[in-house]
Amino acid sequence: MKSKWALAPYLFLAPALLVFGFAVLLPVAMTVGYSFTEWNGYGEMIFVGFENYITAIGDTVFRDSFVHVLIYIVVTLVLEVAVGLVLAGLVSGVKRGSLWFRVAIFTPVMLPMVVVAVLWAFVYNADFGLLNAALEAFGLAELQRVWLGDTSTALLAISVVSGWVYAGFYMTIFYAAFSQIPTDVVEAARLDGAGEARIFRSVKVPMIRSAVIVAVLLCVTGGFQSFDLFYVMTNGGPYGATEIPTTYLVRTVFSFGNVGYGSAMAVLLTGVIVAIGLVFVRLNGRNGKRDRA
Amino acid sequence: MSATLRDMSTEGSLLRRIPAILVTLGLVVIAVVFFFPMVWMVLSSFKSNAEIFSSPFALPTGIDFSRWVEAWDVGHIGQYALNSVIVTGSSVFAILLLGVGAAFAFSRYRFPGRSLLMGLLALGLLLPLQSYFIAQATMFTDLAITDTRWALIVPYTAMGLPLAVYLLKVYLDALPDELFEAARIDGAGDLRMFWSLVVPLLRPGLATVAIFSALSCWNEFLLALLYIQDDALKTIPTGLLAFSSRYVTDYGLLFSALSIITLPMIVIYIVFNKQIVEGITAGSLK
Repeated sequence: MKSKWALAPYLFLAPALLVFGFAVLLPVAMTVGYSFTEWNGYGEMIFVGFENYITAIGDTVFRDSFVHVLIYIVVTLVLEVAVGLVLAGLVSGVKRGSLWFRVAIFTPVMLPMVVVAVLWAFVYNADFGLLNAALEAFGLAELQRVWLGDTSTALLAISVVSGWVYAGFYMTIFYAAFSQIPTDVVEAARLDGAGEARIFRSVKVPMIRSAVIVAVLLCVTGGFQSFDLFYVMTNGGPYGATEIPTTYLVRTVFSFGNVGYGSAMAVLLTGVIVAIGLVFVRLNGRNGKRDRA
Repeated sequence: MSATLRDMSTEGSLLRRIPAILVTLGLVVIAVVFFFPMVWMVLSSFKSNAEIFSSPFALPTGIDFSRWVEAWDVGHIGQYALNSVIVTGSSVFAILLLGVGAAFAFSRYRFPGRSLLMGLLALGLLLPLQSYFIAQATMFTDLAITDTRWALIVPYTAMGLPLAVYLLKVYLDALPDELFEAARIDGAGDLRMFWSLVVPLLRPGLATVAIFSALSCWNEFLLALLYIQDDALKTIPTGLLAFSSRYVTDYGLLFSALSIITLPMIVIYIVFNKQIVEGITAGSLK
């Protein structure tokens, strides 16, 4: 369309670009700048070149935080994406009442993660928590744990909470994708004598391949950006067993005032997330998507 | 053809129906397990500390909302909710207004720098919060806007814009050119066309964008944690955290606060589930 006035498109764009440039692009550039300095946030800023990056790569806490987040991502891929896929398959086979089921499973997605975290800290509470009480009720008292205080269970416990929230989210995405599959394709497979499990595995899931890829992308990139659950439930503890990159860098910058070093870690983390995003975009020929809380 | 086949499969032999019944039963069990923490939360909000400890599964002796009222008033949950409404409302309004403007420019005009500017905005779809929040925090401190609502509204708007512009542009691209040509022939100027043609036609797209933008603003935690120390300005996520450290052992009151925050969201989902599901899937799949 031709404009009456050549400046018109720029004027329509200006407010959005100004806000975005001011609150996102400018700070991205500044963060990269900070990463080459030693700075406590207000005093003198000293240029140190790549020193922060070298320190970060040798920092065992930082390296372990990536190991933890990778474990978390693998577990949540199963608990969120795989479980969501199976649930969507089961629900799409049910004719009546599926709305109520979807309501029950989806509600946690609507809640702030902090609310979920506080609620689940109670579920895991060693004294009166729902989980230990349930184990006792089923005669499994010997399985009782201080779930969030035990280095061997804390990370898994947080992953389960994440699964509780996001299984419904991915189920919703897959349910929508399943309902787009033409029924005659499924009927044809059924006539050929394929069982429901076989149809699910060999017909339905391959047909929603791109939705599955997007879900894996969201789960992986979202996983790297996790913060809320970890901060509220354990804040990296016990003994660093749930330290993930973002809890570590928030502590480095905002508790210890180490802006330069924190920025270098932020840049490294960003590099990993963007690289994964670009690989998936290439893989799927689609656009990636931003974070999910 | 496919209709008769479907009839055969639903009214088929009993043998064929048994798995369906098992599936339904299984789903009911899963739904109950999923829902149980929330049921437990509401039940516990009516109990005393002693009851919460001694009989976690028991029904409360009575339904008494006094703790809910206490959490809302004395515990400031009401204030936090109001802050969340103000911050979320302003951010969503700004995202929609600025987003439609930008989407309109990208979709309907060809101008120098268009692809460069689109590329810049698309960066926002890839860049995580971690890439900018450190410098944003130092900037906001220097500008003395921390501990004001602007410290949340501005970044929430900026973070919501890329996806909003992208989706609104998809909606706008689908509108026929003739509409705009006709308006132009009728003498409509650029601004007139924006308000009386684009905004009304985009209403369904705006609703979708509003829903997922509202959810992410409502739930945002990290920036709210860093920028707002003043309790009177805290939103629900950070407010609840402050609340839970203030009343750390008053479990009945904590469960009341959690219930007050959770139940309206369940009601909202039941009422608007179609739009919400559409908003969420559009927000993640596009």
